[in-house]
Amino acid sequence: MDALASLAQGFSVAMTPTNLLFVLIGVTLGQLIGALPGIGPSAGMALLLPVTFGLEPVTALVMLSGIMYGGMYGGTLTSVLVNVPGEAASVMTAVDGNQLARQGRAGQALAAAAIGSFLAGIGAVTALVFLTPALSAFALGFSSPEYFLLALLGITATASLGTGSAVKAMIGATLGLMIALVGTDPIQGTSRLTFGSLELLEGVDFLPVAIGVFGIAEILVSMEQTQASAAVRTRLRDMWLTRKDWVECRMAMLRGGVIGFVIGLMPGAGPTVAALLAYVVEKKASPHPEKFGHGALDGVAAAESANNSAAHGAMVPMLALGIPGSASTAVLLAALVLLGIRPGPMLLTEQADLVWGLIASMFIGNVILLIMNLPLAPLFASVLRIPYSYLVPGILIVSLVGAYAISLSLFNVGLTLFFGMVGYLMIRADIPRAPLVLAVVLAPLMESSLRQSLMLSEGSPAIFVQRPLSAVLALLVIGSLALPLFNFMLARRAARRAGVAEALSHSSD
Amino acid sequence: MKVTNLVTAVLLLALSVLVLLGTWELPYWADFAPGSAFAAFWVALVGLVLALALLVSTLADDGREPHGFPDRRGVARVAALTAGLWLMVLLIPLLGFMTAAIAFSLFLLLGIERRPLVPSLFTTAVVSGLVYGVFIAWLGIALPAGPFGL
Repeated sequence: MDALASLAQGFSVAMTPTNLLFVLIGVTLGQLIGALPGIGPSAGMALLLPVTFGLEPVTALVMLSGIMYGGMYGGTLTSVLVNVPGEAASVMTAVDGNQLARQGRAGQALAAAAIGSFLAGIGAVTALVFLTPALSAFALGFSSPEYFLLALLGITATASLGTGSAVKAMIGATLGLMIALVGTDPIQGTSRLTFGSLELLEGVDFLPVAIGVFGIAEILVSMEQTQASAAVRTRLRDMWLTRKDWVECRMAMLRGGVIGFVIGLMPGAGPTVAALLAYVVEKKASPHPEKFGHGALDGVAAAESANNSAAHGAMVPMLALGIPGSASTAVLLAALVLLGIRPGPMLLTEQADLVWGLIASMFIGNVILLIMNLPLAPLFASVLRIPYSYLVPGILIVSLVGAYAISLSLFNVGLTLFFGMVGYLMIRADIPRAPLVLAVVLAPLMESSLRQSLMLSEGSPAIFVQRPLSAVLALLVIGSLALPLFNFMLARRAARRAGVAEALSHSSD
Repeated sequence: MKVTNLVTAVLLLALSVLVLLGTWELPYWADFAPGSAFAAFWVALVGLVLALALLVSTLADDGREPHGFPDRRGVARVAALTAGLWLMVLLIPLLGFMTAAIAFSLFLLLGIERRPLVPSLFTTAVVSGLVYGVFIAWLGIALPAGPFGL
């Protein structure tokens, strides 16, 4: 009941005219950013973070989180109409959504995605209301060993639960840790890896890294070829589901929503993994799996419900523990720090209005997004007709002005460009960028907790397994490191078996 | 992809060595607690292990996966944009932020994208207005000004 009373208080914060306006601005920007191929919600949040410097913390956060979950809705438009995912979490939507659009059912695909995202979003925020205070209260018992292990788990889980190579994900995280080492040692005050540069004494700011690695890098990739993709010309009048469509999709939405929320809670997995997993599960559960890949409405509903639910689920560890589970929540956490707020389990008690106002704003934002994606979808679809090249100068210039605004220094602008080039090379070398950004955010907490723990134990690493909770976390870290090895060995065994079977079939011929 | 992976492994190896050498003079362990080089040592060690893992797995892999880099025209477009961005940053102290940004926008739209003049001028005007309105007028951020007062 306490949670409901706090939520009511949160609604009184979120319903002020200024906050309502910025929820609207945030979700509209999120919808547009999600719809534009080449720039995802994390990049959009990082680019627009400097714009929030003049705002109240709660207003800034409702806007930034609006961009985060608004991007999940917006990505559907491009996936369905252009067959190019607006952001990574809409990849599975593009598979079936565009097929449906080619069959003249774009309206139903967009409606299934919007309704699924809305129901899953509202469900996930409701779960957030009850889960966040419970986890936050539990985390009050954490001390430095638990914090170190939790932050480490955030990084190692990114490698084991991500979609690509585990080694490359760990390389991304290691690069992030190396970046975070630069500057003045927080405990002893000595300069570290600054190589005589005065500008580097304060360390590398998070924003030049995030804006460069996400924003500039994605623009550089989009510049490789002239953008010439055209939206499918289709009727968008039938933006509603028939009774038959609803029966086909409702369980997919439920399954997708639950899978998405659980995946969102896990560090490192995020909306993309959630959408992939929900799609695969739905294909297995569907009475017509043969339709998947050729225009399955339940496939679209499952993937979209899952990605929106995961975006909200990732807020739980961020708000309750101060540990971001995804790149978007890492940007949100950085925003908290820049706004002078200390994240962690005390956040809910020290900044109750901020946290509950933010949670309440998500209910409001999801309602606005449902309206934007049903009756107003044709309006947003018309944005896709603007040639992308006209948007590029604006995105780049706002990125660089934003980088300058952090510390009024051109050095940060240069750093942003440098990290843009690093991000571009990472994309081309197939190294995921989210672990790098997560590592930059988590590194200060990780290093200070590690050193405090070893100080308490006089150098004995046994402190990391002495308390039951830290022992469990240590096991989870080991498990997350062992999982990719286990998967690798299974794949090798399967390949060897397939090779033997092929050799046998050749010998019998 | 094989060459890309090998280059990545070598670069990571070099970066790890740089971290190790760059913190060599710092204490690994101070009187009663880990010193400034403690975290750096372990991060560099992880970097070395990962670089070797990537190197060995790439050399052992006989797959023919193509690299992910674009063709010559794509490389030229990316290089032109990168050069334009760096040039803009270098010109900011001389021309001011807004003037350099306007010049960059026109270079990008007319020079690289080959877009028509009028829409390019209109886009540049909208972007400049947006930056001026939000960052200078609303947030009061003092962007470096040049001889034109912008």
